[in-house]
Amino acid sequence: MLLDFDKLGGLRTALIALVALVCLFLILPIVFIAALSFGSSQWLIFPPPSWTFRWYQDLFADPRWLYSALTSLKIAAIVTVLSVVIGFLAALGLNRGRFPGRDFLRALFLTPMILPVVVLAVALYALFLKLGLAGTTLAFIIAHLLIALPFSIISIGNALEGFDRSVEDAAILCGASPWEARLRVTVPAVSHGIFGAAVFSFLASWDEVVLAIFMASPTLQTLPVKIWSTLRQDLTPVIAAASTLLIAFTILLMIVAALFRKGRKA
Amino acid sequence: MAVTVATGAVKTKREGTFGYLLPALLLIAFFFIVPVLMLLVRSVLEPEPGLQNYAVLLGSTTYLRVFLNTFMVAGVVTLVSIVIGYPVAWLLAIMPERWSRIVLAIIILSMWTNLLARTYAWMVLLQRTGVVNKTLMGLGLIDQPLALVNNLVGVTIGMTYIMLPFVILPLMGVIRAIDPAILRAAALCGAGRLQCFWRVLLPLSLPGIAAGALMVFVMSLGYFVTPALLGGTANMMLAELVAQFVQSLVNWGMGGAAALVLLVVTLALYAVQLRYFNPARGT
Amino acid sequence: MKSRLVIALLSTTLLLAGNAAAEDLVFTSWGGTTQDAQKTYWADAFTAESNIAVTQDGPTDYGKIKAMVEAGNVTWDVVDVEGDYAVQAGNAGLLEKLDFSVIDKTKLDPRFVTDYSVGSFYYSFVIGCNKDAVEACPKTWADLFDTQKFPGKRTFYKWSAPGVIEAALLADGVAADKLYPLDLDRAFRKLDTIKADIVWWDSGAQSQQLLASAEAPFGSFWNGRLTALAETGVTVETSWTNNITAADSLVVPKGAKNKDAAMKFIAQATSDQAQAQFATATGYAPINLDASTLMDAELRSSLPDMQADTQVNADMGYWAEHRDEIGTRWYAWQAK
Repeated sequence: MLLDFDKLGGLRTALIALVALVCLFLILPIVFIAALSFGSSQWLIFPPPSWTFRWYQDLFADPRWLYSALTSLKIAAIVTVLSVVIGFLAALGLNRGRFPGRDFLRALFLTPMILPVVVLAVALYALFLKLGLAGTTLAFIIAHLLIALPFSIISIGNALEGFDRSVEDAAILCGASPWEARLRVTVPAVSHGIFGAAVFSFLASWDEVVLAIFMASPTLQTLPVKIWSTLRQDLTPVIAAASTLLIAFTILLMIVAALFRKGRKA
Repeated sequence: MAVTVATGAVKTKREGTFGYLLPALLLIAFFFIVPVLMLLVRSVLEPEPGLQNYAVLLGSTTYLRVFLNTFMVAGVVTLVSIVIGYPVAWLLAIMPERWSRIVLAIIILSMWTNLLARTYAWMVLLQRTGVVNKTLMGLGLIDQPLALVNNLVGVTIGMTYIMLPFVILPLMGVIRAIDPAILRAAALCGAGRLQCFWRVLLPLSLPGIAAGALMVFVMSLGYFVTPALLGGTANMMLAELVAQFVQSLVNWGMGGAAALVLLVVTLALYAVQLRYFNPARGT
Repeated sequence: MKSRLVIALLSTTLLLAGNAAAEDLVFTSWGGTTQDAQKTYWADAFTAESNIAVTQDGPTDYGKIKAMVEAGNVTWDVVDVEGDYAVQAGNAGLLEKLDFSVIDKTKLDPRFVTDYSVGSFYYSFVIGCNKDAVEACPKTWADLFDTQKFPGKRTFYKWSAPGVIEAALLADGVAADKLYPLDLDRAFRKLDTIKADIVWWDSGAQSQQLLASAEAPFGSFWNGRLTALAETGVTVETSWTNNITAADSLVVPKGAKNKDAAMKFIAQATSDQAQAQFATATGYAPINLDASTLMDAELRSSLPDMQADTQVNADMGYWAEHRDEIGTRWYAWQAK
């Protein structure tokens, strides 16, 4: 009954109230950013003296914004794919393997998450300079993959813990090759873990700023780097305008996805 | 190394397990262990060979405070995130899909918004002259503006905001996977609501809670943009200290030392967690 | 088998990536409106004259400079750094000696010239106040440190750099010509008295936001930021009493790939014309002694070099020597 929405009774009201509050908490800064992007105050004073589209004009007048967004998107997409594939394999190995040092390896794989990113940034930067990789897309991908991978390993590993191995074995007994069984039985069964891994990996790269500052070059800048330097130097509401456009874009994507789902059901 | 698998009905060959780890292992070895080791070597070589960097770091009450503060902030953020995130995940797991989709959309929207922009928004919102204080004063709830930023409150609000989705999303998956029949059975056997929760639902979702808490705790330990912007200088966390050593003072010896201490303490905590709270062990 | 594929892939990409070959001169500064002006009046003018393209990079990062020099792969040719860092880094062997047969140093403000660096521009820490938010504005450093007479939050520069310590000592009654060597114990004692009322700003933009929103209605600011703030319609009062000057410097990291071009760039950037135009655009002062004759008289009055009466020059030599020691103590004090 605790897992039945209709039989929660009074608890249901309490839980719904809490969820509503959390939603309000989550959405407050986003709405605020959107409001700031139309406010005329350069110094983020709210409510602003008047309303304006000026920051959007500024945004489109500077092609570096669009360019950096595309760079971020490209890097994050590659990192997501690599992180999910490598993370799936590693999680499978950790889940299935019974060898000494397994716990140590698991801990090792997660350390890039613990280490202050700035340490990793400096250390990697020094190495990439020696390898002649500094300022390249590959450097970006490697750096972001390092911090994205732990998310994949945790998320997919978690899902694998809850997956009954014998289902996969049954598929093999029925004549599937081990990899066929994994692709067609295991992968779909842990798809929520893979989805989580993909989301977290994408965000780990898309929103990462400390490593990006070190990996960036004049011709290769991600969106967070652009936002970071703008924040520190001018603090113009152009940042709010850029964020608002991204939010609008996300909402649009969600609506399209929802319509697509509906269309398939019908 | 004995790699035979005994759990499944079909025995996979040796290549099965260790080979899977290789890509991740290579990546970590070349691009994590090597550069970090290089940095750690500096911590015992600079400015001169010896352990004086560690002596300074561990012998100073100021730096010890930073250590304690780091773990305290991470602990508080983890606790608040779990306490708030669990009920949300619970309701999300069972509520009608058309509603849960909206809540999920809000969560994903918040994650998609740039971290720096969100943090800055909080900074302006929480200022003494900010919207939150102005609203509370306008409603007559307070006379004096509350100090919501440049202190622990600000850090907790800002970091909980970032960490909540990392708790909610995995926990939701875990709770969804719990068979409602188990709870029905418990209720049939006469367990009350509270008992059902404490003795059945909570224990069953514990692996998810542990994983979420670990992820949040560990991520919080290494954070520095948010604490730097929303916390006061007295709330300094280790990552910020490291950044100061590395970037402002250009003292890589001390920076490396501070990083190593953080790494060792965290790995130790992690080992404890694995030893005592890992249900997968000993199968 | 999978892993062998990964190794193969990795090594090919490593080979393909190669060196990011940049023949252009790379100029690195702190970004924002300051760097925009540096680009327009220094870099673009330099390119027009010499036909050498200039790539802008940033922000300046001392950790990056050190890593580049140590790795022997220096991608920055000319860097805008803080004055005390320039002196220290020069002594530490991280910088190239400047070629004064190319750069004419006779016209440059000697306060900011060393073997390894010349001034880039200079600025003053001044007392700024949002007149709409308070009844009375602090006029002196002593006022700014007086929480009885001027209650409320005040804002100061967060990072360890010349400025705040000097201000504390001046507020405590130390004579301007007796500041150095700095009495750190005394300075921190004075700072302790207002610590609870300090909001730190860590970037120029943040200092403007704090003042404009009256989160901190007064504090210590870079003069150029106040000029810019006033232009956006905020009622700002600036007190120049005992304004504390510090300079940015131009340096060439050791092993820079385009060393000769870098010297020519610095010569161009420090010319009277370039300095005058930059100062006009930013509100920071020129370091070329002839530059002010090329500038609008009214504008000059808002620059630090017209406020010399009670001006205090931060001692870059002293700071370079004690940079690490003061920095360590500064951050430890902040964290207390």
